[in-house]
Amino acid sequence: MPAPELLITLLEPFQDATFRQLFMQALLGVTLVSVLCALVGSWVVLRGLSYIGDAMSHAVLPGIVGAFLLGGNLLVGALVAAVLTALGIGAVGQRSGLKQDSAIGIVFVGMFALGLVMLSRAPTYTSDLANFLIGNPMGVTTTDLWSTLAVTVVVGGLLLFIQKELLLVSFDPTEAQAVGLPVRRLNNLLLVLIGLVVVMTVQLVGTTLSVSLLITSAATARMRARSLPRMMLSAALIGTLCGGLGLYLSYFLNTAPGPTIVLVNTLTFLAVLPFRIKE
Amino acid sequence: MSALATAPNTLVSVQDVSVWYGAHEALSHASLELRAGELSAIIGPNGAGKSTLLKALLGLVPVSSGTIVFAPALGRPQDALAYVPQQQTLDWAFPVTVWDTAMMGRTARLGWGKWPRRADKEMVSEALHQAGVYDLRHRHIGALSGGQRQRVLLARMLARNAPTLLLDEPLTGVDVNSQERILELLRVQAGQGRAVVMVTHDLDSAATFDQLILINRSVVACGKPAEVYTPDNIAATFRTSHLGSTHARA
Repeated sequence: MPAPELLITLLEPFQDATFRQLFMQALLGVTLVSVLCALVGSWVVLRGLSYIGDAMSHAVLPGIVGAFLLGGNLLVGALVAAVLTALGIGAVGQRSGLKQDSAIGIVFVGMFALGLVMLSRAPTYTSDLANFLIGNPMGVTTTDLWSTLAVTVVVGGLLLFIQKELLLVSFDPTEAQAVGLPVRRLNNLLLVLIGLVVVMTVQLVGTTLSVSLLITSAATARMRARSLPRMMLSAALIGTLCGGLGLYLSYFLNTAPGPTIVLVNTLTFLAVLPFRIKE
Repeated sequence: MSALATAPNTLVSVQDVSVWYGAHEALSHASLELRAGELSAIIGPNGAGKSTLLKALLGLVPVSSGTIVFAPALGRPQDALAYVPQQQTLDWAFPVTVWDTAMMGRTARLGWGKWPRRADKEMVSEALHQAGVYDLRHRHIGALSGGQRQRVLLARMLARNAPTLLLDEPLTGVDVNSQERILELLRVQAGQGRAVVMVTHDLDSAATFDQLILINRSVVACGKPAEVYTPDNIAATFRTSHLGSTHARA
């Protein structure tokens, strides 16, 4: 009977209690982060801020590394780095007269290099580096889960509070400015939120890949969604399913789980692409 | 301020306004008035400063010299003006329905963290009815025709309930049937005591408006169509434009 044999093979890893525990924690982490990424990432996709999202995800590295080396809170460290980066991009852009993309490029690569330099002083450089750059979902702790839940609730509440303003700024920035909404401040807030989300994804997929979780499932959802709530809901579901599948596949393929999750997300996007709703 | 004192129905008075972008003067010493109950057309070739004038009215570009005076009864300028952008400047694949889009007109009035109340929903319903798109309210905006899209933007404008309405080319990319409905709707708004002004390339329909404002970097002429529509004025308006010959036809 091939069917039960297949089932036994597929369920085999769950025989091991330790693996089961780690896998479930990782899955919970992926689910929470998927919800968080759906909430923030949908706005990033709609506002066309993906490039800045990528920049922010690299730029928070020195904050995370600094907090790690000093034994402080990684979240606080990353937030400081995110705020400094947002301010730095603005300042470099204004003083140099360069276009925004060059200012972003200079600041984010500089911040990223600073993080690497700081980390290279640590005795466990290589393993730490791998952890920060590509993450390790199987290493998610209960503390990680609680802090992700807290951040998701706070960010979700905040986004709900400013939802209609963000909607107008995203759909029609000229009108938003004309009716007196603080367009620039809303954009800066979004930058800080991106920084926050990146921190929450670091444990799962590391800083280099975190932009994928932030935008890919939201972009996939956008191909089919007709309203914002549906887009966010679909993005959360897609992120969770891709995350679970990626985790599971990485066990069988014996691959790094973080990048495997990212690849499943990318392939899902490509699979949905031909079915985009056209006007 | 003197202009307002002499004309009590003037809502907005543009007095000798110039706008410079760096070394380029986009608008030069423009003066005009927008009065309650009047439908006005801004006409001019591309690059004549029409959009700059609208942006200056909306406070989106700083005025280099001159002043724009709002009637004191209007309150804050951002509440006094409702604006309809050119359709092509918006992303129609954006995941919002017709209802969501019209409700955006209530955003500024509602304030942070507040959700639409019954009064807001009633205003949006009424606006959608007036624009003739209420039956489409659950549709995604990407599924609409050009004329329907324009009318959704009009509904959003109506939901703002502002005394002055500014529209940037609302008749462009719109079928004849929708054009008629849009003009009718705007006449009704003017009839209710609003000042309505649109940028348009349609000289034929503009000839039926209360006021024409011919622009070519500066205001060439401003007044009733019968007074303003002279061959000299039209030549002066479209002189530097390659589009001049086709648009000056009427």
